[in-house]
Amino acid sequence: MTGGPLTGGPLNATVASLTSRSLLGRRRTFVLLLLPLALLALCTLARILGGLDSDIAAELDGPLSPDLLGAFGIAILMPLLSLIAGTGAIGPEIDEGSIVYLLAKPLNRHSIVVTKLLVAFGVVVAFGVVPIAVAGVVLTGELGSVTVAFTLGALAAGAAYASLFLLLAVITRNAVVVGLVYALVWESLIGGLVPGAQALSVQQWASAVVAEVLGDSAARLGVDSAVGFGTAMVLLVLVTVAATFYAGRRLQTLRISEA
Amino acid sequence: MSDRATPAGAPSSGAIHDIGYRHYDGPRLGAAYIRRSLFLDTLRGTYGLGRSARSKIVPLGLLALLALPALAVGIVTGYFGFGALPIGYTEYIFGFQVAVTIFVAAQSPAVMSRDLRFRVAALYFSRPLSRQQYVQAKYAGMAAALFLLMGLPITLLLAGALLAELPVDEQLPDYLRAMAGAALAALVLAGIGLFVAAMTPRRGLGVAAVVGVLLVLSGLQVTVMAMAYEFGNDTFTGYTGLISPYTLVDGVMSGVLGADSSIVEEPPGAVGAAVFVVAVVALVAACYAGLVARYRKALS
Amino acid sequence: MSLIRAEGLTMRFGSVTALDGLTLEVDPGITGLVGANGAGKSTLLKILLGLLPSTEGTAAVLDLDVAVDGPAIRERVGYMPEHDCLPPDVSATEFVVHMARMSGLPTTAARERAADTLRHVGLYEERYRPMGGYSTGMRQRVKLAQALVHDPSLVLLDEPTNGLDPAGRDDMLGLIQRIDSEFGISVIVTSHLLGELERVCRTIVVIEGGRLTRHSSTASVTAETAVVTVEVDDDHAALHARLTAAGITARSSGRVLQIDVADGSTYDVVRDAVAELGLGLVRMERQRHRMTEMFTDRPTTPGGVHV
Repeated sequence: MTGGPLTGGPLNATVASLTSRSLLGRRRTFVLLLLPLALLALCTLARILGGLDSDIAAELDGPLSPDLLGAFGIAILMPLLSLIAGTGAIGPEIDEGSIVYLLAKPLNRHSIVVTKLLVAFGVVVAFGVVPIAVAGVVLTGELGSVTVAFTLGALAAGAAYASLFLLLAVITRNAVVVGLVYALVWESLIGGLVPGAQALSVQQWASAVVAEVLGDSAARLGVDSAVGFGTAMVLLVLVTVAATFYAGRRLQTLRISEA
Repeated sequence: MSDRATPAGAPSSGAIHDIGYRHYDGPRLGAAYIRRSLFLDTLRGTYGLGRSARSKIVPLGLLALLALPALAVGIVTGYFGFGALPIGYTEYIFGFQVAVTIFVAAQSPAVMSRDLRFRVAALYFSRPLSRQQYVQAKYAGMAAALFLLMGLPITLLLAGALLAELPVDEQLPDYLRAMAGAALAALVLAGIGLFVAAMTPRRGLGVAAVVGVLLVLSGLQVTVMAMAYEFGNDTFTGYTGLISPYTLVDGVMSGVLGADSSIVEEPPGAVGAAVFVVAVVALVAACYAGLVARYRKALS
Repeated sequence: MSLIRAEGLTMRFGSVTALDGLTLEVDPGITGLVGANGAGKSTLLKILLGLLPSTEGTAAVLDLDVAVDGPAIRERVGYMPEHDCLPPDVSATEFVVHMARMSGLPTTAARERAADTLRHVGLYEERYRPMGGYSTGMRQRVKLAQALVHDPSLVLLDEPTNGLDPAGRDDMLGLIQRIDSEFGISVIVTSHLLGELERVCRTIVVIEGGRLTRHSSTASVTAETAVVTVEVDDDHAALHARLTAAGITARSSGRVLQIDVADGSTYDVVRDAVAELGLGLVRMERQRHRMTEMFTDRPTTPGGVHV
């Protein structure tokens, strides 16, 4: 990758600003905000109820907080957010054909992908990981192991999801639907029925990270994973890197056509 | 109809069999026919019929995903001679609500985006169909598609039960209640899906937005209900069903029609049932009104 | 019978007045509607289609009141919008058949009419491909086809030549003429390009700032004037002097002389003068008005209603 104002090395400021402007359009931002706000509202409600009822407070210190952070945060919030951000980073451009302006510049295809991915990941962190961290603090009342564990889990999930969904957006026009089918049908529905499918689930990898950080209290808090931590880390890194690389490859041979 | 003399039948140069422009004197069926045609076209379009092969994959795939297990359950019941279906009609749909959600999310933009994003709406409105009739046709089309999506598996379950020689009069009330629930759910989900999809012409964002809304509501409902349950206030717990469309319909079914509830608490008493019914009606009416308003802008 | 009648038509959107007391009567045939963007053309079309209730005034299309008989009007009128309005994943045939049914035609009739109409606008093999791959010319033809498919009595064409190259524009204008002469359907065309309207329209309506400023037939607008242009190869100042002495009014305009013709004898006087001066006559030509004069001259009639 050569340097210079046009190619800009592995990152490109213009691509980054264009992508962030399109990602943070009014309607998209509205939908992006919907999800973390719901999570925070829920956690605040739980906290208030916990203040009123000692049973709930006990639950909050027990499995309820991880449940909320896991089932709502990592299982719903992260995939949806990454879907919107990952596909939104490049999907509309391909759809409208304006990607051709980008491709006509002497920019390294991989650098385009990496730049867009970083912007998408930034959005995911801002609208997903940070709110989960805040939610953790609200729920447990401290910046303890639960909060840290789920924040890291969310980070891992976000990175893997974002790169996967960006790749999907390069491959197919129906990226959002395919991504949804993966995240919802494959990971939860089929994953609940077919044990083997769980090994190929970002959810499970993220859970492994959470379990690892929680250490001994994982079992008490009801957090476990179908894969071990080592396996999970390897798969997370592998998938993220491979998806990013393959997206760059596909961009080189992109066919732009209507319908 | 033309009130000027027509030079019809005058052959244009160069074409042997060109019979020139012919006027149309046939029947012109009114707005009711047009609305019905649009309804049918919308319904077919939701399942990808009359469009490209690629647009058939998701809807038909989801239909198969919902129907085949139902078929399997029916066969299993007969094979093992169970005394009752291992999974109830309403339970089944509730369990598969994710698939239904994806269908609504994936197909709502397909129904709406063509007219809004590509601005075909102007062509519809320069025709005898009024804005309200247009929305009615589209809404009904989507609702019918969803009713088919949920009704087919329920019916397959019934077929399986009957083939397993379970008594009809035991099965029928539950079946009918489940079908009524499916119809209500179809109306509510179609309204939400179409309204959210109409807010953004971008197809991808529309899908994500509909899913986001439905999933968030679902998740909220489950969590709030769990906390309310812990909190020990039964009334409050009963009303948490209002939050998510699936539990809202379920609440109406159990409160009004006496079905077994798939959620933990039923709406408290007659007042609760009435609240749920009002909520459903209000939601459907609000979505319809919202869609009509959305198309006011699309007149240009 | 008049095609369109409007009486004191006013449309106000809050503080903006899009149409201001518009009164006009349009006869069958091809009529051009001219005006800058924002002059009120689109608003007028929407009112005529019965889609927008006017703030004041009345209008009737095909003797149907726009306020009451909107659906009936839309049954008999075809509309071709200016903007892009074709979905990319459907073929022209499918789309036009669908639109025909949306106008009330039963399915079999819709298919026949769609096939016929597409043939008449000049789409043959292409009609089975998805419209996403169409050129602008093909798209405009499909838009026109959907406006014609239900055999309307009147079509409203909004900037039909938008985005077309000169050859495409000629084709489209030829089509429009055929709509009137062969199909027997009246046409209202809007355009920014005056040259086109000259060629095609029988009548011109000019709208400026929501008011009707001119309504005249193209023939009268481009009629022969009683002015002759004379160009000689040498000293036209001498000719000018000679003609003025002979009592003929002449104006010098660059290299040519504009001479007012009183009667046939004027030509003889000019010819003789040129011959006597020994000049070579390059040209002697009757002048025609151009449409552009409508916009540079101020209206000559009070209120600028009818010319």
